[in-house]
Amino acid sequence: MRFHLVRRSEVRLIRKICLYLAGIAVSFIIGGIILSSLGINPLSYYRDMITIGLIGNRYPGKSVEGLLKLFVPLLITSLALALAFKMRFWNIGGEGEFIAGAILAAVVAFKLGDSLPGPVVVLLMCIAASVSAGVIGLVTAHLKVRFNTNETLMTLMINYIMLYVIKYLGETKADWNFFLREDSERPIFAKFPENAIMDGIEIGNFKLLYTVPAAILIAVLVYFYLKSTKQGYEISVVGDSVNTAKYAGMNVYKITVRTIFLSAALIGLAGAFTASASGTISTDITNNVGWTGVIVAWLSKLSVPVIGIVSLLISVLQYGCQAASASYSQIDHNFADLMQGIFLFSILAADFFANFRLVRVHTAKTEPSKASDGGSGKDV
Amino acid sequence: MAAADYAIELRGISKNFGSVAANKNINLNLRRGEILALLGENGSGKTTLMNMLSGIYPPDSGSVFMDGKQVVINSPDDARRLGIGMVHQHFKLVDRFTAADNVWMGKKDSGFLLKKDRNKEIEAIAAEFGFELEPTKIVANMSVSEKQTLEIIKVLCYGAKIIILDEPTAVLTVQETKKLFDVCRKMKESGHSIIIITHKLNEVMEISDRVAVLRKGEYIDTVETDKVTKMKLTELMVGRKIELNIDRPHMEKTKPLLEVRDLCVDSDEGTTAVDNMSFYIRGGEILGVAGIAGSGQKELCEAVAGLRKIKSGKIVHKGRNLVGMNAKRISAAGIAMSFIPEDRLGMGLAPSLSVADNVILKDYSDTKGLMVDRKRARSQAESIVKMLNIATPSIDTPVRRLSGGNVQKVLLGREIKSDPDVLITAYPVRGLDINSSYTIYDIINEQKKKGVGVLFIGEDLDVMMALCDKIMVMCHGRLQGVVHANKVTKEELGLMMTGAVSLVNVKADSPAGIARDSAFTEEEWEEASDMSEGEDK
Repeated sequence: MRFHLVRRSEVRLIRKICLYLAGIAVSFIIGGIILSSLGINPLSYYRDMITIGLIGNRYPGKSVEGLLKLFVPLLITSLALALAFKMRFWNIGGEGEFIAGAILAAVVAFKLGDSLPGPVVVLLMCIAASVSAGVIGLVTAHLKVRFNTNETLMTLMINYIMLYVIKYLGETKADWNFFLREDSERPIFAKFPENAIMDGIEIGNFKLLYTVPAAILIAVLVYFYLKSTKQGYEISVVGDSVNTAKYAGMNVYKITVRTIFLSAALIGLAGAFTASASGTISTDITNNVGWTGVIVAWLSKLSVPVIGIVSLLISVLQYGCQAASASYSQIDHNFADLMQGIFLFSILAADFFANFRLVRVHTAKTEPSKASDGGSGKDV
Repeated sequence: MAAADYAIELRGISKNFGSVAANKNINLNLRRGEILALLGENGSGKTTLMNMLSGIYPPDSGSVFMDGKQVVINSPDDARRLGIGMVHQHFKLVDRFTAADNVWMGKKDSGFLLKKDRNKEIEAIAAEFGFELEPTKIVANMSVSEKQTLEIIKVLCYGAKIIILDEPTAVLTVQETKKLFDVCRKMKESGHSIIIITHKLNEVMEISDRVAVLRKGEYIDTVETDKVTKMKLTELMVGRKIELNIDRPHMEKTKPLLEVRDLCVDSDEGTTAVDNMSFYIRGGEILGVAGIAGSGQKELCEAVAGLRKIKSGKIVHKGRNLVGMNAKRISAAGIAMSFIPEDRLGMGLAPSLSVADNVILKDYSDTKGLMVDRKRARSQAESIVKMLNIATPSIDTPVRRLSGGNVQKVLLGREIKSDPDVLITAYPVRGLDINSSYTIYDIINEQKKKGVGVLFIGEDLDVMMALCDKIMVMCHGRLQGVVHANKVTKEELGLMMTGAVSLVNVKADSPAGIARDSAFTEEEWEEASDMSEGEDK
C-alpha cells in the first residue's frame, strides 16, 4: 500500500480553521501527557498559560508588559522577513541582523547616553541599529545580484558571525570593552544609562512602551508599502519572475538591494527596540525571533494583517508557557520552549494537511509473471 | 479482433492531477507492427497517457494489457522490462558522454566494466534501421536531430518493441523529418509498434496507419488514416467544424519602419548567436522568421527590444539608432516597440499577479507619485478583456490560472494597448489550441491592417506561409535569405533552414535584408555606426 500527496486546489476557510484547532488540540494532549508524567496537573498549567499569568497576579500590568516585550520584536522581524520573502529572497539572517542592531544601539547608548537628552539618544540608537543591520542586508543582496551567491547561506553565516561577535563582547574583560560593567570581576554586560532606556506612557501600574505604537505603525506602513506603492509592486514582480521584471525595464539590482536593506534595517530596529526596552544587551537578546519570524511569515502566507495576529498568538504562547513554567518547581523555562515547539510543529502539520491530502495509490493485483522476476528487476 | 492481437491495450485509464482530470476513462489499442498517431490539441492528455505507459506515473484507475495479458507498470523499470520505450520531447542524455556511453550507461546487462564492443553494437543497430550516427561522438557536439536519433537507438538497444515518440518532429527540419519517418517505417517492418504523438495533421496523414484522437482528456475515436481527411481529423480533435484558412490582407507598402544592419549578438554562453544579420520591416507587413529552434531567434528579438547587449551593428527605427539603449530608454524615448517573449509566463508576465497588475507592467512608473495607479490599471484591464474576449473570472485573477490562449491574449492586449508601430512576437501560438491560435492570427492581422510592422517568429511553416508577407530564414544566427511567402515551397524553406541553400547574395545589386528605399542614405548609415561606436567608448 502506497500513498502520495496531492495538493488541494481549493482550501476552504472552515476546513483550515478546523485543522488548526485540531493541531492545537493535539499539542495540548501531547503536552498534557508530558505534564502528567512530571506530576503537574495539566489543566492548571494550561489555565496559567492561556491567561499568561494574569489571574491571581498582584501586578497584572507587568504580565502584559512582558508579553508586549516579546510581541514587538517578533512582529517587526516577521514583517521585515515578509518583505524579503515576497521577493523570494530567503533572508534567514534575522538573528544576525537583530544582534547587529542591538550592538550598535548599545554603542550609541554607552557613548552618548550620558551627554544627550533621552529622546535623542533613543532615536540615534534606532538609526544606528537600522543602518548597521541594513548594510549587512545590502551586502548579501549585492553579492546575490552581482555574483549570484546563495543568499540563504550568506545570511545564515551572518547569524553565526554576529552571535560570536556579541559573545566576544560579553566575555572579554578588557580596558577597551565599554560594554561590560566596570565594577564586576566577572564579565557582565553593563546597564544602559538612564537616557538610553525606552520610555512609555504610564497607565496606572502599567507602562505602555513607545515601541508598541511604533511597531503597529510599522505594520500599517509595510502593509501599504507592499499593497499600494510602486516599490511594493516592483517587489511582487521581481519575486514572481526576475525575467519579467527585466523585460518590463525594472532595475532588478536596485530593487533587490533596496528591499533587502529595508528588510534588514527593520530587523536591526527591532534589535534596538529590544535593547533599549530591556536596558542592556545579552547573548540571547534575540529570543530566536530571526527563526520564529520565518515561521510567522510563512504561517501568515506573507499577509501583513495575518502576521499581526499570528505574532501576537505566538507571543501569548511563549509568554504563557514561561509564566506557567515559573509557578512549578519541576520545570523551568526550557519546558516552555518545549511546549512552544510542540505547538508550532502541530500547527505547521495542520497547515500542511490544509494544503495537501494523502491519496492511496491504487495498485492492481500484481501479475504473477511480474512478481517472479521482480527480484532481478529491482537491482538499481 | 481478439485482445491477444494487440501489442498493447489500455482499458479505462484515468489520471487526475489535483482536481484536474488529465485522462478520463481512456481506451486505446495498438496493433503489432503499426504506426499509431496520437492526435490531440495541447492539454488533451496525450503526454500524460504516454507517461503512464512508460511508468513515469501510475494511473489512478484502469488496466493495461500486453499481448492479451494484464500488466502493471509502476516504474520506468517495469516499462522497460515489458519492452516499452519512450523518446521524450526533452532529451534525457548526458552531455559529456559519447553516444555509445549514453546507451551503455543505462543498459541492464552491460556489466561493471566498459567493454570495447559497445561502439560496434550501436553501429550495428544504426545500420539496421538506417540511422546515421557516430558512436564516439560526444552528445554536447550533436545537433538536435542527432540527439533524437541517439534517444531512439537507446530505446531500441534496451529491447523495446513498443516505441513512443513524443512530438518528435517539433525540433526537426522538413528534411530531417523525412529521414525520421523513413526510420519509423523500417522499425515497423521489423515488427516494432510505434506510437507517435503529434498535432501536425500533415505528418499524421503521411506516416500513420491509424489515428487515435484525444480531446480534453477523453478518448474520442481511432480511425484508419487512409479513410479520413484532414478536415475530419480537425473536427474530431476540436469537437466541431473549423475553417483552416488564415487571411493575408493586402496592404500598401510604406517605407521601412525598422531596419537592422550587420547585427551581431552573443548568446548567454558567449558564443555568437546572431551573426551579421540585416533585415527590415515595413509598416503593414508581417515578416516571418523561420529557423530551427535555437538558431538565434530569441537573441535577435531580445537585442531589438533592448534586453540583450548588442556586440556590433545598427538598429534604426524611424531614423534613430536604438543601439545602446536599454528597454526602458527605448520606450521612454517614445519608440513604440512591443515584444512578446518566447516564454510567456516566465518573461512576459508575472504569473501570480492579477490580470490588472500585469496590464500595467510596462507603464506603472509613468504616473506621478509613489503609488501605483490601480484605477487606471483596472480600467485598462477591463477594456483589454472586453476587446480581446479574454475568458477570466475577473481582472483580479492571477494570470497563471488562465488558460494558455487567454494568457497570450493578455500579453498581446497589453502590447497592442501601447499603440506600437513595430510588434515583435515570438511563438505566439505555442501551446494554444486551434481556436485560440486563429484568434491570435486575427489579432496580429488587425495590427497589420493598422499599419504596424510585425516580426513574427514562428515554428509551423504552413502557418507562416499563409500568414506572413515575407519570410526570412535563419540558420546558426545567419541570414539565409528573405523570400515572399506566396512564392516559396516548404522544401525550399527547409533547405535554407539547414543552411544548404543561401539566397543572401543572389542578386548582386540588392543583397537580401537591405532596403533600397532605406530611411538613411549610405552616408547616414556610416555616421550611425561611428556614433554607436563612440557611445560604446
